[in-house]
Amino acid sequence: MSALTFELKHTPDQRLDLSPLVPARLNGLSRKEIEALTINTTRTKLTVGDAFKIKGKDAERLHFVGTDDRCDKIGAALAGGEIAIDGDAGMLLGTKMKRGKIAVTGSASVLAGASMSGGEISVRRNVGDQAGGVAVGETMGMKGGFISIGALLGERLRRGIIVVGGKAGDYAGARMIAGTLVLKHGAGRCAGYGNRRGSLIFLEKPRNILPTYSDCGVMEFDYLRLLDKWLREQGLRIRFGARARRLMGDMAVLGKGEMLILA
Amino acid sequence: MPELKVKGVTIIETFAEAFPMVATRVVITAPTLEWALISARTMTGFATSVIACGAEAGIERTLSRKETPDGRPGVAVLLFTMDAGKIQTQLRNRVGQCVLTSPGSACYAGLEGEKKLKLGASLRFFGDGWQVSKVIGGRRYWRIPVMGGEFVCEDTTGLTKKAVGGGNLLVLGKSHAAVLAACSRAVKAMSEMPDVITPFPGGIVRSGSKVGSQYKGQIASTNDAYCPSLKGAVKSDLPLDIEAVLEIVIDGLSADAISDAMYAGIHAIARGGAREGVTHITAGNYGGNLGPHHFHLKEIVG
Repeated sequence: MSALTFELKHTPDQRLDLSPLVPARLNGLSRKEIEALTINTTRTKLTVGDAFKIKGKDAERLHFVGTDDRCDKIGAALAGGEIAIDGDAGMLLGTKMKRGKIAVTGSASVLAGASMSGGEISVRRNVGDQAGGVAVGETMGMKGGFISIGALLGERLRRGIIVVGGKAGDYAGARMIAGTLVLKHGAGRCAGYGNRRGSLIFLEKPRNILPTYSDCGVMEFDYLRLLDKWLREQGLRIRFGARARRLMGDMAVLGKGEMLILA
Repeated sequence: MPELKVKGVTIIETFAEAFPMVATRVVITAPTLEWALISARTMTGFATSVIACGAEAGIERTLSRKETPDGRPGVAVLLFTMDAGKIQTQLRNRVGQCVLTSPGSACYAGLEGEKKLKLGASLRFFGDGWQVSKVIGGRRYWRIPVMGGEFVCEDTTGLTKKAVGGGNLLVLGKSHAAVLAACSRAVKAMSEMPDVITPFPGGIVRSGSKVGSQYKGQIASTNDAYCPSLKGAVKSDLPLDIEAVLEIVIDGLSADAISDAMYAGIHAIARGGAREGVTHITAGNYGGNLGPHHFHLKEIVG
């Protein structure tokens, strides 16, 4: 069976709430029923059939084609299955998702993977601020799962792994509770500000380090070997080695977090 | 009835009687295979029999860098006890005293299992508050700061209740050297089989026992029916020309695993043929009423 495909007909004249388009909701619905689902966010009614041309049948594999940054909440609360997005995604991509996979060929807007607890999001280009951050109405950011990004990032991250292929913005990993942030090309100012128990892994030596991090020197970490191998198994082209300088912080708060700067 | 023979070695028509056990597997890694083996041998030392060791344990096999979670050389270890309560204590004590202490080691789950046993979940307290937990791919690992760096230990490992202990082969021969050589070959063949260990020294027992004795408080004593030096004095099971009997005991994660290992063992023993001096292969049982698993040699060879 071919993937259930939603091809955007034209640029919508309002933001779209695509949260109903997840396998759990679509399974067992006829094409007519799917077309009748409402996705408007203003008072002007808009159905799936108005905005998208539908092809294919397999509701466990969804395919969005030609979407733009007004297509919000794709894969929200996803509990299984796969979503491929040929184009961009709007805000709250995969927010609160629990299981499954989302892959975006373009960019995602703000709050990608916000408060997600499991599953995998990969974004080929950029993500907006607060990826892995706190979704509206939640008290914690990402609680589990895996985000890979090809920018503020991981605020109040609780658990989970985020890999940033480019350079992260300011306050990456701010107020992290735990979890792991892998930064391939460093971050802006104040990375790890208020970090409690999280790990920030820098593949390149960062330019500025908060003074509230204390140097523990260089040593080998089997943990890095473990993470390195797992990331490669996820298809990431990454190689850490095991030697890193460890700085513990943020000493202004709990201070059990760390920066591991590969040596 | 015709005698069953493999290369001139008589296979006695009897069965090995075995018992249900609980078991777990852990993977130990280290900077080199040599250090992974040192750690594993220490952890599985003094673990020949549950009678007085608390557990039966052994090295299942070595693992290449590709097969371990951290990409270092490793060793898979199997640990067996009679019940689930005892295995938790044995696992904690053995990993805590022998793996945690071993230079450069790390310890991971080796079995999914029906239930979970605490691994890092109890050893983490050694970190005195400095331990950190990391979740990678849905699995939790503990990083415990130690003098040698960090001890990485997975939170839990699996427990199986389908394990079987006490599969065995008894090998009779015309010289001690012939029986020892044949048994060594069998242990080597079984060491290449998955899901089994041979917990005794080098895989071989030279002092099989019977239940009870003439002394009060001695619950097991020498198996006089198989002692070559008593052939004329007791109701011996040995022909007069037998000079030595050695036994191989097998513990496995399943009855099938034991059966496969016994098959490999019998053929390895018989490889030298009767000319080498091995005359009989038999098995130990208690009449069939004690253990629910019966491994009939005839079926295994057939």
